[in-house]
Amino acid sequence: MKLEVRSVGKGFGERTILKNVDLTVRDREFICILGHSGCGKSTLLNMIAGYLLPDTGTIAVDGEAIRGPSKARGMVFQEHALFPWMTVLDNVSFGPEVQKMPKAKAKETAMEFLKLVGLETYASHYPAELSGGMKQRVGIARALASKPDILLMDEPFGALDVLTREMMRMELQKICSQLKPTILFVTHSISEAVYLADRVVVMKHGAIADIFEVGIKHPRTPSSPGFGDMMSRIERVLMDEEHSEIAEAKVGT
Amino acid sequence: MDGAKTALTGKAGKLRNGLAEEPKPAAGRTFSLQKWTFVPGILFFILWEAFSRINESVKLFNPNFLPAPTALLQEAWELARTGIIAESILSSTIRILLGFVIGSAAALALGVIMSKYKSVEFWFSPVLNLVGPIPALALLPLFIIWFGIGEFPKVLLIAWTTFIPVLVYTLDGFKSVPSTLIRSAMSLGASERQIFARVMLPSALPNFLVGAQVSLGLSFSALIVSEMMGAKSGLGYIIVDARNYFKISNMFIAIILIGLEYSLFSYLLKLVERKVMAWRKGGIRDAVEK
Repeated sequence: MKLEVRSVGKGFGERTILKNVDLTVRDREFICILGHSGCGKSTLLNMIAGYLLPDTGTIAVDGEAIRGPSKARGMVFQEHALFPWMTVLDNVSFGPEVQKMPKAKAKETAMEFLKLVGLETYASHYPAELSGGMKQRVGIARALASKPDILLMDEPFGALDVLTREMMRMELQKICSQLKPTILFVTHSISEAVYLADRVVVMKHGAIADIFEVGIKHPRTPSSPGFGDMMSRIERVLMDEEHSEIAEAKVGT
Repeated sequence: MDGAKTALTGKAGKLRNGLAEEPKPAAGRTFSLQKWTFVPGILFFILWEAFSRINESVKLFNPNFLPAPTALLQEAWELARTGIIAESILSSTIRILLGFVIGSAAALALGVIMSKYKSVEFWFSPVLNLVGPIPALALLPLFIIWFGIGEFPKVLLIAWTTFIPVLVYTLDGFKSVPSTLIRSAMSLGASERQIFARVMLPSALPNFLVGAQVSLGLSFSALIVSEMMGAKSGLGYIIVDARNYFKISNMFIAIILIGLEYSLFSYLLKLVERKVMAWRKGGIRDAVEK
């Protein structure tokens, strides 16, 4: 699997959101897209998912252009987007079921993935009965259960409190070391990006400002050698403009 | 076209604010009020009884105008023995059931088609906005001229009154399905048909049920009025018949029976709603513990 984004641009009406973005995602790579809100990172992810189409340029998986959403690209949303009228198990087995897997087999697969995220005892609960972190874990299990080639995550931990966020980071890291999926992860937390990613793509004003190879051995902690250094290097790229300019960019969103 | 659309959804919004909220029995601090919900009803009848009995001797107005509940019970028993009550309830129930089910089913079907095909919505929505607000009762004389005084115009009138609110709510439900839910389903590999059956429909179901609840009251008035104009049976017919012979107690009996029947239907609908929406949490009861 190889995802290629070639000189992609996108605008909504008068506003240009993305200009000339080039990015290649290799198989089994964990990439974090980092940037201020309004920098276009979510738009890029939505285009890769196939919800939006680029105005210019192409996005292709293994040489084939993306024309719409597909089960090959799973999505985890910030607001979890679980089906509230289905139990946790039915949510996770939704993917396998609509892909014509026999029902019993689909439930079995769903159970496996619930075990992976440690929620097998909550299989018969409804999403409304779960905490924010648990819902997000179900969201991850649901996306993984339909066996996507690439997992797209749009600020999945953005709505969680700091402690839960920390736990979810570790949890996701654990899952990654087991399954080795390809992940494209959008975030605005520098530490989260450095903790998780193989490569950190820093975006500013609709363009890629810089790409960092993290190269720190897993499992990482903030005291791992090079962690703080990497964080401050990324921070310098993110913040190197006049504060007024950043404020302006925020007003624009 | 745009104006028409907002008119449709706007109406739904207003209706919902007024009616969707279920009155929650508040629990007292020292004892549970829930066990005592029958008290206000009983008290109402006791006061009524007392007032009527006093009026019989004091004669504030003609005592025949407001018979006491116990007297009504006696009259009702007499009436029931002739079989009129059972017959009336049966024919009214059949009419409302038929009309209500046909109206809801048609509204759901058209709602599905309108939300699926933009062109159908384009042609139907303005017309429905035009005829929707007309009180169904205004149509009844016309229906009678067109279709006679048989069962058909009555059922049709009830179906029509049910149809409009249910359609408005159902359409609103389809339009307000969160886009992230549709996106997730797409990314999980669901086909358009699967998205419709497994995401759009269940997501719009609560709205449909609210629409049904709202139109239940309206379809009851349609039932009674259609029975008051050109019918030979039914609870509405008892009222007209009682008016013609000045049997005020019979009027009261019919009125109370209508109230009871409505309550029963409303309760059944609530049961369905509770069963279908077991996943839903919220409301004041979940907000704070008392």
